Amino acid sequence: MISARTLPRLFANANSRPLSLADHEETFRPTGAVGSLLEELEASGLVGRGGAGFPTSRKVQLLRAQRGHKYVVVNGMEGEPAAHKDFRLLSTNPHLVLDGAEMLASMIGASRVAVCVARDNPAVVNHVERAIHERAPRNHGPSFDLHTPPWRYVAGEESALVHWLDDNESLPQFRPGRPHILRIGRGATLVDNAETCANVGLIGRYGAQWFRELGTAEHPGSVIVSVTGAIDHPRVLEVSLGTPITTILQSVGADPHPQAVLLGGYGGAWLRGEELATPYCNEALAPFDLSVGAGVLAVLPRVACGVTETQRVVRWMAHESARQCGPCAFGLPALAEDLAEVARGGRDGVAAIKRLTDRCAVIDGRGACRHPDGVVRFVRSSIATFSEDIDNHLRGAPCAGSRSSQHYLTVPALEKESELVWE
Amino acid sequence: MIALTTPYLWYTTRATGIVTMLLFTAVVALGTLVANRVGGTTVGRFEFNEIHRSLSVIAMVFLVIHILTTILDSYVSTGVISSIIPFTSAYKRLPVALGAVAFDLFLAVWISSLVKLRIKNRSWRFIHWFSWLGYAISLVHAYMVGTDTHHGVGMLLVVACAGAVALAALWRFLGRPTRAAGRTALSPLASPPVVAPRPRVPEAFPRTPPRPRPRGR
Amino acid sequence: MGVIRRTGQFVLRVDPILCDGFGHCAELAPELVHLDEWGYPIISSEPVPTADIGTHESARYAVRGCPRQALHIIKIAPPRP
Repeated sequence: MISARTLPRLFANANSRPLSLADHEETFRPTGAVGSLLEELEASGLVGRGGAGFPTSRKVQLLRAQRGHKYVVVNGMEGEPAAHKDFRLLSTNPHLVLDGAEMLASMIGASRVAVCVARDNPAVVNHVERAIHERAPRNHGPSFDLHTPPWRYVAGEESALVHWLDDNESLPQFRPGRPHILRIGRGATLVDNAETCANVGLIGRYGAQWFRELGTAEHPGSVIVSVTGAIDHPRVLEVSLGTPITTILQSVGADPHPQAVLLGGYGGAWLRGEELATPYCNEALAPFDLSVGAGVLAVLPRVACGVTETQRVVRWMAHESARQCGPCAFGLPALAEDLAEVARGGRDGVAAIKRLTDRCAVIDGRGACRHPDGVVRFVRSSIATFSEDIDNHLRGAPCAGSRSSQHYLTVPALEKESELVWE
Repeated sequence: MIALTTPYLWYTTRATGIVTMLLFTAVVALGTLVANRVGGTTVGRFEFNEIHRSLSVIAMVFLVIHILTTILDSYVSTGVISSIIPFTSAYKRLPVALGAVAFDLFLAVWISSLVKLRIKNRSWRFIHWFSWLGYAISLVHAYMVGTDTHHGVGMLLVVACAGAVALAALWRFLGRPTRAAGRTALSPLASPPVVAPRPRVPEAFPRTPPRPRPRGR
Repeated sequence: MGVIRRTGQFVLRVDPILCDGFGHCAELAPELVHLDEWGYPIISSEPVPTADIGTHESARYAVRGCPRQALHIIKIAPPRP
């Protein structure tokens, strides 16, 4: 049985092979001291681990109020290239995720669960497939289906994922009024990140009080983080929310004195090196306009150039646009070009900075989804955080990164326009 | 059924036929101007759209007159059915059939535009593409039914209209908005690219397993 | 019949996915819509009183004139006394 106050929770008994159903039930034997699932979920204060941080119990209540067929979708797409946590979770404890999905299905009255994993990662697809197969002989609970959408940054966005299940295209949908119920056909759909489902699985076995033994009062529980950047090889680990960020970085042997750390994901923002004593939880990060997001910590060392790294990321994010909305389809590539001009420096660079600021204001909030908003947030944060590097570039002086040719933010290779797959 | 054998019905059919052809040429040309985002300085873009819409109504009126006079005229035996269902006319089966097909297509386009605010925009666009097909068929009908169009001014008009619309089609094709192919183009000919999925090689994450944790607790 | 009372406010909203940057809205409702450098509409999000007949009519023309039907008028009911 796993104890309340120590880690690991989600990675308990983790191994090089995923836990079988029997091992899973042995590791996570319930204590029996749990009340109604709904009450426990609400008392736990669990918020989504996919990036938005929306209270899970509120989502469940919203779906409970809907009538007709319902579905639960487990989002294991992991659109963030710097994140690897959902893949790792599904490769070590897939049954915990499926348990949580089953509990969510029972709470809202859904008869089918769709587990979505990107098809570009066949190893993880295999693990999930085997786990679903192991559960097949059970006669109770919802039926599980494995789906494999193509991997795209926006394919993990809720409305894009549901639209792919509904209409076979990973395109985000316009949602005019919040709260907006996503539907597959006519069925209301609850979409939750794989890690969120796993946490629901834990709460269902051990209760809200147990869950809240870790983390902070406002942001309880544990979270899986992916540390990349200035580290010898990228690490995925489970930490208690509220741990100071320096502690997290030290425990994995990342650069102890970085220039800045990117939090959230590529649509997130930077935390300066001086402020790394901040506890890793939403309420402590809020004054910096940051959040835990998808659990990404990308460490930028002092020898790296913030401008070039930002430009590479924005160029890729622009390429990953669904190209449905003009401000995103045209605006993001324009931001990438402006950043390239800033990197080149000179008088064009000065004009480019002004254009960047204006364009950010114009693009923000004018897409159907939050993709352009994220890029704008990232660009604004980069301009503020790397002001020194930018000055150096504009003056044509060598910047911090001129001493190193290595890139620290992983950016997948750009595919040819005609080869992008959305179906 | 009124059986009239005055030559004026026959003249009206031919005249309204030519006028309809000219009007629909203008409608298609204006539609191309709208699609290629012409205007905004002296003439507003919305004005081209409005003229396109208004002119299409006038063109449909002339088309209906053209059909009615053909039906009413008993000099040539074409009934009401022949205007909608092809190959049911005794007189000049093929050309009248083509006319019927063109009319059906134009009718579909027109009705879909009347209820444009009530139907999905995708459906409306899909039907609207068929206006090109309807126009092409109507030109063939105009040439084949041929009382005036085999020689002289009539033929010149048909050729001029065909040329104008061909140019418009080329310009429409060249000026089409740049978007990822297939996903936003709703023409019946559009289709998404078929590419075999490539496995994503995780660049940064080697497949090293996590350190084994002590069992039992 | 009496006077038609126009109460409450309205907001013009665009569906950014349907919008294809034709720009007819900026011509028909210049009080509410500007175009960005790529031809896409920036619509003011401040509610306008429905009693402002000129602006309301412009908004209705813009909704009708949009080639992609991407515009909608969202009515905001007046607060109950």
